Amino acid sequence: MSADSWPPQLKDWVAKCLGQMTDMNRTEAQAELRQVIADAFAAHTLWTTDWAGVQLKALLPQPQPQFNTANLKPTKNSPANKKVKKALKNNTSFDPDDRAALDKRAQRFQREHQIEREKSRLGAQGSLQANYNTSHLFDANSRSASPFGQSDDPEADPNVMDWDRHTIVGTSKEIFKDYLRLTTEPKPEQIRPYPVLQQTLLELKKRFREKTPYNWICSQFKSLRQDLTVQRIKNEFTVQVYEIHGRIALECSDMVEYNQCQATLKTLYDLGIPGRVEEFTAYRILMLLHGRNRSELNLYVGQLTPKLKADSAVQHALKVQRALAMGNYHALFALYSSSPNMGAYIMDHFVARERAKALMVITKAYKTIPLSFIHQELAFEGIGQAREFLTEHSAAYFTNPGSSDDQKTLDCKPASAQLNQTFESKYRKVLIKGAI
Amino acid sequence: MPMDFATFLTQINDALNAENGPNLAYLLRPTSPHGKDLVKGFRSPTPATLAHFKGSIMSPWDEIAIQYVLICTHIARLRPGEAFKEQSQLVSLFFRYFIENRGWTLPALFSILRDLRDLAHDADWHAKVHNEPSECMVDAARTVAKAFSNCMTDRTSPPDESRKWGVYYVVGLAMKSYFKVRRISLTKNIIKVLENNADIPALELYPRSHQVTYRYYIGMLSFLNEEYAKAEQELTLAFYHCHIGAHENQARILAYLMPLRILRGHLPSDELMHRFPVLADIFAPFIAAIRKGDIAAFDRALELREARLIELNLLLTLEKARELCVRGLFRRVWVSSAKGTRIPLSMFHCALRISGIKDVEVEEAECLVANMIYKGYMRGYISHEKQMVVLASTNAFPRLADRMAPFALM
Repeated sequence: MSADSWPPQLKDWVAKCLGQMTDMNRTEAQAELRQVIADAFAAHTLWTTDWAGVQLKALLPQPQPQFNTANLKPTKNSPANKKVKKALKNNTSFDPDDRAALDKRAQRFQREHQIEREKSRLGAQGSLQANYNTSHLFDANSRSASPFGQSDDPEADPNVMDWDRHTIVGTSKEIFKDYLRLTTEPKPEQIRPYPVLQQTLLELKKRFREKTPYNWICSQFKSLRQDLTVQRIKNEFTVQVYEIHGRIALECSDMVEYNQCQATLKTLYDLGIPGRVEEFTAYRILMLLHGRNRSELNLYVGQLTPKLKADSAVQHALKVQRALAMGNYHALFALYSSSPNMGAYIMDHFVARERAKALMVITKAYKTIPLSFIHQELAFEGIGQAREFLTEHSAAYFTNPGSSDDQKTLDCKPASAQLNQTFESKYRKVLIKGAI
Repeated sequence: MPMDFATFLTQINDALNAENGPNLAYLLRPTSPHGKDLVKGFRSPTPATLAHFKGSIMSPWDEIAIQYVLICTHIARLRPGEAFKEQSQLVSLFFRYFIENRGWTLPALFSILRDLRDLAHDADWHAKVHNEPSECMVDAARTVAKAFSNCMTDRTSPPDESRKWGVYYVVGLAMKSYFKVRRISLTKNIIKVLENNADIPALELYPRSHQVTYRYYIGMLSFLNEEYAKAEQELTLAFYHCHIGAHENQARILAYLMPLRILRGHLPSDELMHRFPVLADIFAPFIAAIRKGDIAAFDRALELREARLIELNLLLTLEKARELCVRGLFRRVWVSSAKGTRIPLSMFHCALRISGIKDVEVEEAECLVANMIYKGYMRGYISHEKQMVVLASTNAFPRLADRMAPFALM
């Protein structure tokens, strides 16, 4: 695992963590840092993790006894008090003069009180309560606003990160928000709570139909996804957001964002959250075909359940794979013209390559061939496009160059030699942006 | 006489002083006879009850010995999950010693890593039976990868005593674990490290068993990436160097080598199939279909064996051998039309339909013939206007084995 292949976001985060280390916590923090990255690497989430939102346990401000008693006023012998004593006993290297740590801690408690307030306020509204119980796939009750809520659990493993402590609920009422990559802990006043996010999605769908520029739409979707992530909302709505953004990204041929959506969708589907699994399974197969990622394709096709395989979109994708494997361009372009859902948007990315490949076969197997045949067989939109394609691949050798396009006949021999060369330089390598 | 813990500690100490790797490996193996003795010696040992043995011998060996007792106990009580956890702990304690010592420790490393992998397998299996989640094999793979870098980073030992002599064995184990959990993409990292480090000894100098395993995995990975020429080369070497007694390993290698040879037009002999009934079971129907040019039978065989082929990662490659069937069928068309040089496309179209390929259009038949010509199965050209295939007057269907660069056009 070389650092070259790390996402820039991860590099930034590592740099930030290294900066925060002190001599006191360096060994522990570095070990944890390594472990977190190794885990993400093994789980294939290096590219999908919002690194800026990850907090190392070793870099958390240390518990501070005086501060606790002053702010929380725990009753004597309360569980919290016991914990404090324990912390005091264990924490011999504690420096009471560390002003910065104290301030940071104060802020954190402030925020947690706010969450508590927000929760009871929302709870009172009744109808929204349901959302809060279903919005987290994992037990919603485990998300405690009290910093000590979990620590008295005798089963709690001190080595396991208590992520629940870092889950927040936003308070922002703004429907729209530009995407900004988080570099600090999220601030609840800038995060939109679940009900607002639902509004946001409705609005975004409307704006997209009204032909708002994709850049703006994309930024909005990214901030919407970010708000879902920091609040750990993983449900059907989350799936819907990623599916819609995925489709829009396909339509605007933004493969980077599409790949991110696809990767997240896979983990969401794997958790058992319902969505358009079949549609996106078909896209995934087509993407693997586009990337010519043979070994992954073999594995992925192997994992398909009979139910998935029976779906028409998945069937279509599998037929595409077969046609490609056989060099059967006739079947391939018939499938291209009849793609279900948005499959053609993905196929768009590799039709040029496959057309060039088909032309290599054709120019080898025929002596001359009418341009109109190429136009139809390789599913060009117009006969003019077919001619342009040949010109772009320096293969436009016609026996009758003076005739009109529908009368032109390709002279295969010279075209064949050129095509082989062009193919090597143009298509040998596939560039895939973003994680798959 | 049953061994007690004190004797066990002494023997470990002796093995360390004598730098006796094989003996150390034997002492750390849970299946060795003294494992049972130690379990009996302690009633129900826990880290706490064994803590007072800490410091009895050189660190980390005091703790390793304690771990060993815990592991043997968990195994005796049929708790593979716990045994695996303790074994992981043992391995990471061992690493502390390993990185400060030379290659004589390798037999012990190999042994504890293999036990780790076996325990991970048992633990995952046990959890699966009880419907519990378990990712021990993933953890094991991670530990093995750590062992790999611990071998690679030996910069102090003299060349013959370097830990680098363990590299290929450990890589073999890592690959096995990655394939087991179907995380094949992770193997790329290890291979990249190996390729970028010119200072490890040449593969040929390693024990043959290490070479064979490594070549097998490299061959299989190339196979999966459809780099067939390289795959054939590596797998052939692996096959010829494989121990003649290792019948199952030979079968594993042939499972990938055979389809490659088939794609090149070398069909396996009956004698070979006889020696490997497992492979005959997989490939025989395909070979029969290719011999007869029976596309429908080939497709049926694919469908019937799909699950098995996917499990072996063979499906997508074997699918390509279908064109050999198409070639056989088209050759029969040519033979039955008295080996003429002009055969209407419609004849090939009809042949496809007669052989059971429904809903095939004449354009698709034309496309298939074009592919046959392009890939060198047929010599000649198509006249689209006349819907006629014009075949070469000599050698219209070259022998399969005579095709030039068969893999390049796959």
